[in-house]
Amino acid sequence: MIFVEQALQTLVAGLSVGCIYGLLCVGLALIFGIMRVINFAQGDLMMVGMYVAIFVASFVLPPAVFGVATPFIAALLVVPVMFIFGYLLSWVLISRTAGLKAASLTEGDAHQAQLILSLGLALILQNGAHILLGSSPAAMISPLSSSAWEVPLLIDDFSAIFFNKARTVNAVICVVISVVLFWFIQKTRIGKSLRAAASNSEAAIYMGINVSKAHNIAFALGTAIAGIAGGLLVIYYPVQPHVGVDFVIIMYAGVVLGGMGSIVGAFWGGMTIGLVQQLSTLFVPIQLQNTAIFVVFLFVLLIKPEGFFGRTVERA
Amino acid sequence: MLRIDQLNVTYGGLQALDGISIDVKAGEFVAVVGPNGAGKTTLFKSISGTVIPWRGTMLFDGVDLATLAAYERPHLGIAHVPEGRKVFSGMTVFENLEMGASTEEGRRRWNDTLDLLFTMFPRLKDRRDQYAGTLSGGEQQMLAIGRGLASAPKLLMLDEPSMGLSPSMTDVIFDAVAKIHKEQGLTILLVEQRVAEALENCDHAYVLETGRVVLQGSLEELSSDDRVRRAYLGL
Ligand SMILES: Nc1ncnc2c1ncn2[C@@H]1O[C@H](COP(=O)(O)OP(=O)(O)O)[C@@H](O)[C@H]1O
Ligand SMILES: [Mg+2]
Repeated sequence: MIFVEQALQTLVAGLSVGCIYGLLCVGLALIFGIMRVINFAQGDLMMVGMYVAIFVASFVLPPAVFGVATPFIAALLVVPVMFIFGYLLSWVLISRTAGLKAASLTEGDAHQAQLILSLGLALILQNGAHILLGSSPAAMISPLSSSAWEVPLLIDDFSAIFFNKARTVNAVICVVISVVLFWFIQKTRIGKSLRAAASNSEAAIYMGINVSKAHNIAFALGTAIAGIAGGLLVIYYPVQPHVGVDFVIIMYAGVVLGGMGSIVGAFWGGMTIGLVQQLSTLFVPIQLQNTAIFVVFLFVLLIKPEGFFGRTVERA
Repeated sequence: MLRIDQLNVTYGGLQALDGISIDVKAGEFVAVVGPNGAGKTTLFKSISGTVIPWRGTMLFDGVDLATLAAYERPHLGIAHVPEGRKVFSGMTVFENLEMGASTEEGRRRWNDTLDLLFTMFPRLKDRRDQYAGTLSGGEQQMLAIGRGLASAPKLLMLDEPSMGLSPSMTDVIFDAVAKIHKEQGLTILLVEQRVAEALENCDHAYVLETGRVVLQGSLEELSSDDRVRRAYLGL
């Protein structure tokens, strides 16, 4: 009975972590899927979002008005800030190495330039944050992080599992944002234009689609998603300038697992990683958590190299 | 409608177009024929703005095309059906058509255009929710043309629509184009290597060789020209 209770409790933890990882992977997959840009700075954009959320919660929102909702509203307000930041980054920097402006370079050259640019951006964000904010971790204090809903298990009189309130609200927000984003990409005209620009940029231009702008919007959306995921994460995970490094590896693993470029796949890839990371602690020492992730990762790719949702639509 | 004067295009040092002048009047069906590498695709890309010419002027309804970015030109009423079709392979047939209707005029006439397209190409109607990448070559060409028409253009430019298609599918496509021209009165600029089929329906044609217009005239003038008869029509 103890094991069942413990396993269910770990499953709950895995699901809540998985939702955040899923959202992080969705942001990365969006940028890769539409711009074909490999963005090494995605973890650091998340880190910026974490700091922005703390800043907004501490200096912009009066806690007396918003009460326990303050951290979540702060996380939502990260979206416009990071959207604008991402749009400017793409417009001023990334567009020079990706898409149309890079069309004059050979494909290989443009690719290398783009990789080095995003690595450079990662270093600037990390060290910039280090200089501005110092290296000591910062956290967002929320009373909800230390309270839980208790759900009795009904197998006996005393077994129960606990849903941490902050984590549960976070998970729900992550799922809602992922669904809204998926709907946006699949169903709206702007979303479809983004996919058209990704599918064939030359033909998209012949349709009258502004492909450079489509790329900027995609990068801005990806940045905003990294930002809000960071804003939600910081409610229970402290931020320091180099926090993105660990997460970017998880994000890439999730995106590859889900199938490069698939947004739905990316969510399930991130979810899988969250679940494996938490559930592995039931069987192996906690230090082997991340080893477990990559064992599962390699195993899945051995069986299904294109990832869960990798698909080919070209005629055979 | 479209007036091109002394157009020059170079790739690096290579001269792809060398002083091309072409005139397309409203309601005309104009064909540009010529062998592989003559510069036909380059001409189309210059009109659409994905290749920047270094000399010459292009006027569309009096507007200097050089003043507009490539993505703005379709909104004037220019539809470019590119060589190799270039459908959005991961999107459905219907979504491809919707992307064609990105222009204001295309959106306004969307319902009528859709009826017209599905009557003209019933195969697209049957496959409306299928991914474009899974269509056959002929179906993809129908989709590419349909996507061009969905913008409700004034000028439809077709770059080698017969490329890679079987002779019977080529006939289907050419018949459709001729029908659009006759029934809708749409102005058409067609580029082809298959000279006989291209000349069959046109009002005026240009023969392009290594970046120059070597011959031009009406259908009767060209098909009575000995050079054309020997080199292109195999007569
Ligand atoms: N992107 C390019 N870079 C360099 N040369 C090119 C490029 N595109 C076409 N060319 C050259 O320009 C000439 C005309 O090509 P193109 O316009 O594609 O001819 P066509 O469509 O008549 O077959 C050819 O010699 C071709 O090799
Ligand atoms: Mg060509």
